[in-house]
Amino acid sequence: MRETAMQRQKTGSWLNIGSNFNTMTWVLIPVAIAINIAIGQIVVLLKLPVFLDSIGTVLVAVICGPWAGALTGALSNTIWGLAIDPNALPWWPVAFFIGLVAGLCANAGLFKSWWKVVVTGFLVALTAATISTPIAVYLFGGITASGSSFITAYLLQTGQGVLQAVFSTSFLVEPVDKITTCMLAFAIVQGLSKRFLARFPRPENVEAEGGANQTQLYIAVGVVVLLVLFAAFVLRNVLGG
Amino acid sequence: MEKETRLFEPGLFYVQAATLFRRIASLIHTAAARRASLIIHAMHERLSFHIKRNSALHRLNPLTKLTLVLGLVLISFLSPWYWTPHALLLIVIIPLSFVGKVNREFFRAFLRLILPAASFLFFMQAFFQPVGGTVIFKIWFLDITKESLLFAFRNAMRIAVMVSSFTLFLLTTHPSELMSDLTRRGLPGQFAYVIISTLQILPQMQAKAQTIIAAQRSRGLDTQSSFLRRMGSLGPLVGPLVFGSLVEVEERAIAIEARGFTSTQIKTSLYEISDTSLDRTIRWILILLVIITLLLKLWLS
Repeated sequence: MRETAMQRQKTGSWLNIGSNFNTMTWVLIPVAIAINIAIGQIVVLLKLPVFLDSIGTVLVAVICGPWAGALTGALSNTIWGLAIDPNALPWWPVAFFIGLVAGLCANAGLFKSWWKVVVTGFLVALTAATISTPIAVYLFGGITASGSSFITAYLLQTGQGVLQAVFSTSFLVEPVDKITTCMLAFAIVQGLSKRFLARFPRPENVEAEGGANQTQLYIAVGVVVLLVLFAAFVLRNVLGG
Repeated sequence: MEKETRLFEPGLFYVQAATLFRRIASLIHTAAARRASLIIHAMHERLSFHIKRNSALHRLNPLTKLTLVLGLVLISFLSPWYWTPHALLLIVIIPLSFVGKVNREFFRAFLRLILPAASFLFFMQAFFQPVGGTVIFKIWFLDITKESLLFAFRNAMRIAVMVSSFTLFLLTTHPSELMSDLTRRGLPGQFAYVIISTLQILPQMQAKAQTIIAAQRSRGLDTQSSFLRRMGSLGPLVGPLVFGSLVEVEERAIAIEARGFTSTQIKTSLYEISDTSLDRTIRWILILLVIITLLLKLWLS
């Protein structure tokens, strides 16, 4: 465990995969996968219109590094697919890239205050939409087993191409989900002690800047609400036109 | 004296009543605990599907079975012929479940897990897929065409092939068997740890989530009314679950570190897993079949 201080100095390049993994990372990954699945099921129970099934992935990506996050995401979707819902299995590349991008954003210092976390969430959502579109189109012909396919179906009936219809659907659905995920992960990280975080490979990613306070949280929530309203507005326009 | 006995008797009654009550409560408690343990046990069973039987399929090397599963999935997705996934399911996977003597468990999993997922996908695609011109019937703005039905049927069968072959694999292979075989072949021990550990932690975590939900509900947490209330109740449910499970991480890390987790020495295994020449032949045949399917697909398209 004493290596962590040395490793921290070595972690120059994001391609340095080995630096993401110490014993704490390996122990955290199974717990994070279980967190992903358990929270995903709590959300289903509460009947909320989001998935929130990658909080653990984002958590690992932020405090351990992008590659650890990517591994967590991919394994998480595979195990989810094999044990609970078979339709989740083909989507493991999406989870892989969610972990990777969240980790890269955190390495770039985008996980230190509420508004930066919103930016991270938006970038993660953009990635998720981009990666999931080809899978949905080439594997399922555009219509998947997810509820948001109703929107895709409608867009297809209005005469849009398959690629555009799928991409605009995931672009409408993903940001809310991924921004909420990142904000919850940030709240969790803020609740952990510095002594605990220091044992992971990248604790400097989450050293809160001076302004991680209530006001910033309110601004961030306001931005999310605006984004939701904007998405609803776009959706209404698309469906109306 | 009389007064004393009168005071004493109701007291005795209360003591007896209390004892009786405590006994009933303890009975209920044991019953509840037993049921809870049964539920946890059932969940555990569900995650490690493995059923210990003595069959030809059980005796195969885990890597051979994994190659078989991946080969079946790749062939069903790459094949240029329409009926390949259907044929694979009927001619290969279902007979294999009889060879492995797990046919009853396989069909139960098929009904409970695979059929709902596949049929949901089938209906979604049959209704919403905008392909083809031969309209069979029309609901509102949705056309059901012959092409969309065929397309949906094939996709549902592909998913069914994928999941049922994995189910068959999990029924006949113990996860730790697979992991020790793969570790012997050069997979880093850390990966094996992650997979095995996840399979153990997941049922515990789900049980913990159930306990937290029940506890917070009994304290009056609102999990059913308006949207904002439900959104607000996410915090009291997620917080205890996450922080509670993160506490254990550090202890576990120290424990496995003390047992040589990061040691790079070659470790010996207690179990010997056989790898016969039959296994190697099957693996090569499957790899060849996948390559042939890929070439046929490229050649025919």
